[in-house]
Amino acid sequence: MRRILLILLSVLFVPAVWADAPKGYPFHAFDQAMNQAREQNKILFVYFGRYGCGYCEKTNKEAFSDDQVRQIYTDNYVLAYVDSESGKRLQLPSGERITEHEVGTRYNAFVTPVFTFMTPQGKPLKRLVGVQRIEDLLSAHEEVQAQTGNPS
Amino acid sequence: MMFRLTPLVLLLAGYGLTQPAAAQPWKFGQPLAVTEVQGDGIFHHLESAGRRNIAVAGDSVAISWEDNRNETPAIFFAHKSRQSEAFSKAIRISGKGEAYEPSLTALGEDRFAIAWEEAGRVHLRLSDGKQLGPILKLDVKQAGQTSLTAKGDTLLLVYAAADPNSRHRRVYLQQLDTDGLTLQTGNTCRVDPEPLKQAQLYPTVSKLPDRTVVAWEDRRHGHTIIMAAENRQPGTCRFDKPQRISEPLPGPRPPYGKGHGVTRVAMDRYGQDRVLAAWADKRNFREGYDIYASHYPARGDALFGSNQKVQDPFGGVAQQWHPSVAGSPSGQLVVAWDDSRDAQTNILLSWYTDGQWSDDLSVPGASGDHEQNHPSITLDRHGNLHLAWVERETVGGPTRLRYLFGKAASAGPE
Repeated sequence: MRRILLILLSVLFVPAVWADAPKGYPFHAFDQAMNQAREQNKILFVYFGRYGCGYCEKTNKEAFSDDQVRQIYTDNYVLAYVDSESGKRLQLPSGERITEHEVGTRYNAFVTPVFTFMTPQGKPLKRLVGVQRIEDLLSAHEEVQAQTGNPS
Repeated sequence: MMFRLTPLVLLLAGYGLTQPAAAQPWKFGQPLAVTEVQGDGIFHHLESAGRRNIAVAGDSVAISWEDNRNETPAIFFAHKSRQSEAFSKAIRISGKGEAYEPSLTALGEDRFAIAWEEAGRVHLRLSDGKQLGPILKLDVKQAGQTSLTAKGDTLLLVYAAADPNSRHRRVYLQQLDTDGLTLQTGNTCRVDPEPLKQAQLYPTVSKLPDRTVVAWEDRRHGHTIIMAAENRQPGTCRFDKPQRISEPLPGPRPPYGKGHGVTRVAMDRYGQDRVLAAWADKRNFREGYDIYASHYPARGDALFGSNQKVQDPFGGVAQQWHPSVAGSPSGQLVVAWDDSRDAQTNILLSWYTDGQWSDDLSVPGASGDHEQNHPSITLDRHGNLHLAWVERETVGGPTRLRYLFGKAASAGPE
């Protein structure tokens, strides 16, 4: 019984040791998100991270944990997460099949995290490089909405 | 201050890209098309674990790639003699399933072996340039990321496949015997027999006279690192305990994350008993991924030596990806990669001489116009360099597959 309790406690309280997409957000694979963005005519918000990325973990904890950020990004964007070192395969709207790693190289994710707002066709609108604060994400949202004619 | 420095930086950057021709070990010819099948909606990919997509057997050079000319991604192979100005028509190697990441190696003087992933299984096939042998499919699930090398009539294949005792992928080595164009499986083993904590990915293998060295991406420490193991018992498939190749950052561990990123190790033998492993390494987070390498064997108990930065300082904050390594029995050693230090991506080379990496060379014919990336290189027995790469006019646009011959400056007239 004590062993089971210890296991449960460790699962509950040990912090995430690698940086995936932040919890509580509907992040999709890049190709699924592109299709969804096209169908819904919404802007893509692409999170380029990697396994073990420290600055991704910091941004997840300090910015994506914010309720206002969660609400705004969930409501206004189709969210995609790309592990820039992963061999997971995707199919782009052009028909090309490439890995997440190659998506990262194509969109210049030479550091992580990189956050890129894109049109549904994949054209970059704005790029945020490195650790982001709550105010950075809120300000980027305002800027992108103004740029695309949807000021909030 | 910035204003004053700019001309100096530009001058230095220019010097970095324009070395005196006399210093170059190779004189490059004109690029050739590897296949004429190209155009809208067709994407050629030169990708394999260890970036082994080009090989030379005797007088013949061959290239293997994946493209979607028939909609479903399939594996193709083309070859030419050293003197020919054109490649053969592309020969389809794979079957009906989605196929990816072919690895190619020469088998003696007159055969080639190709391994690839198709429908989640590893497939292999031999060719002598005129005929294809039967396809051999390994009975291993969720398997791919193949990398091949050969010694005599024996093939060594490494690949990553689902580990039955965990939800991760594990690196396996498979020995194969050949008879003409027929393959027969031999010993197989886990390269690291310990229980898996996290995934092992994208392996590659080098064969030395009395040992085998395998390197791969490993996620056991919570971030990706490069690891290697060696087999010093010929005739067996037992590897010693693996060691880390990519070095951790010095100093205290940062409060967030587990460590810096690395990707896609490539490896080749040079000299009689040496190996170089090279990979993209993000230890300097401001510069992004740079090309690093390490030599085997090291002194003492270490398999590989201290890490060396291959690219010159002018790479700076530009992107460097997709390193490919070529060595020769005479001791030549060269690394190629794609590099965005100019307005577009170019193929760059650095070669190892007198214990140092040369200044970077932007390869004539594989730089300057368009996007040039995903190099794969090999050296033939005369020291000539053979380069294959992917060219695009626009990022994300249709691709062309290109080949370039670099005649060794030390070679005599033909």
